[in-house]
Amino acid sequence: MAVRGLASLCRGFAAALKTPGMLRTSLAPTARPGLTFSVLNRSIANITPHHQYRFIHTTLSRKGLEEFFDDPKNWGEETVKSGAAWTCEQLRNKSNEDLHKLWYILLKERNMLLTLEQEAKRQRLPMPSPDRLDKVSESMDALDKVIEERDTALRLLQTGQEKARPGAWRKDIFGRIIWYKYKQWPIPWYLNKRYNKKKFYTMPYVEHFVRLRLEKYLRSEAKKKSLQRKKQKMLQRKFPHMST
Amino acid sequence: MARNVLYPLYQAGNPQLRIFRTNFFIQLVRPGRVQPEDTVQFRIPMEMTRVDLKNYLQSIYNVPVAAVRTRIQHGSNKKRDHRNVRIKQPDYKVAYVQLAYGQTFTFPDLFPEKKTDPETSSFEDIQNEFMDKERERQKIDPRRGGVPDWFGL
Repeated sequence: MAVRGLASLCRGFAAALKTPGMLRTSLAPTARPGLTFSVLNRSIANITPHHQYRFIHTTLSRKGLEEFFDDPKNWGEETVKSGAAWTCEQLRNKSNEDLHKLWYILLKERNMLLTLEQEAKRQRLPMPSPDRLDKVSESMDALDKVIEERDTALRLLQTGQEKARPGAWRKDIFGRIIWYKYKQWPIPWYLNKRYNKKKFYTMPYVEHFVRLRLEKYLRSEAKKKSLQRKKQKMLQRKFPHMST
Repeated sequence: MARNVLYPLYQAGNPQLRIFRTNFFIQLVRPGRVQPEDTVQFRIPMEMTRVDLKNYLQSIYNVPVAAVRTRIQHGSNKKRDHRNVRIKQPDYKVAYVQLAYGQTFTFPDLFPEKKTDPETSSFEDIQNEFMDKERERQKIDPRRGGVPDWFGL
């Protein structure tokens, strides 16, 4: 149940890896207990870690349906302690393989919490520590964000494209300028009946309504500005010595 | 494989599509009706198929799956709020998974009643405990550093 502890949201995992428990000299390749997942193809002999690392090898924890439920000791408790969520800054320090593994740990934890939530609703009892779900979903969103950042950086470096999905600025039938996202089709556009029914041009009789829309927009902007000015004036009247 | 994600177009001869991080979250639920012993009931996202669920359980949870059957449960739209506007309960997909190799599963009791220890202490001990708790409650906030309560802030 070593990975059960890892599944908790404490930063203990990261801390454990960096504890100065082992001296540099003792990190000889032969003395290491097992291969880490990432070192399948590379030789270990040349790695000299800069931090005092302890290489931990953990087998995949797949124990079947019992992973949909919490530790049996926690059944019936009112609150279950859990650590803080993973932040973007912490996740940016992790390698892609670590993030991949963390994603699945968080996924299993989230599934477990969702089953618990549903069972609590069924039994009409309060769920113990529902904040765990929020923490897990926040961590997963942060992980997604970090992966997306890395993907965009790589794409910018390799191809110079800012967006993953290609698109173009086009005018629709309402006279608006929209970002049209391209879709993948097995046939060229001039043979595509559904695509050709879409109109990416504006007819002349729509100009009047475009103007009306523009006037509405300008009116709303002017209203916002005048509201700001009125507020400032009112404050100046009430508090004449106020500094903005 | 994942929710809310645009899958690339498939044409004959393309390699198998693989997604590295799934977006699917599933919940094991207690069956409403009595199910056979080898059947486990799940609530899965609408975009997930039975093949997806089989691969999910086998690769992530190491559960041997023999068969999966799914159905979509309509969430009720009958309830109305104080403005007489209909309130929709979300629809969800239910999957009935039959385990292989004759394995059985019963949904456990996740909220057992925890027995408190019977009162072995005498009445006086209980009184003393109560007084201690009261005193704790009456103490001022330790973060004030000994400053009495009747000072503002």
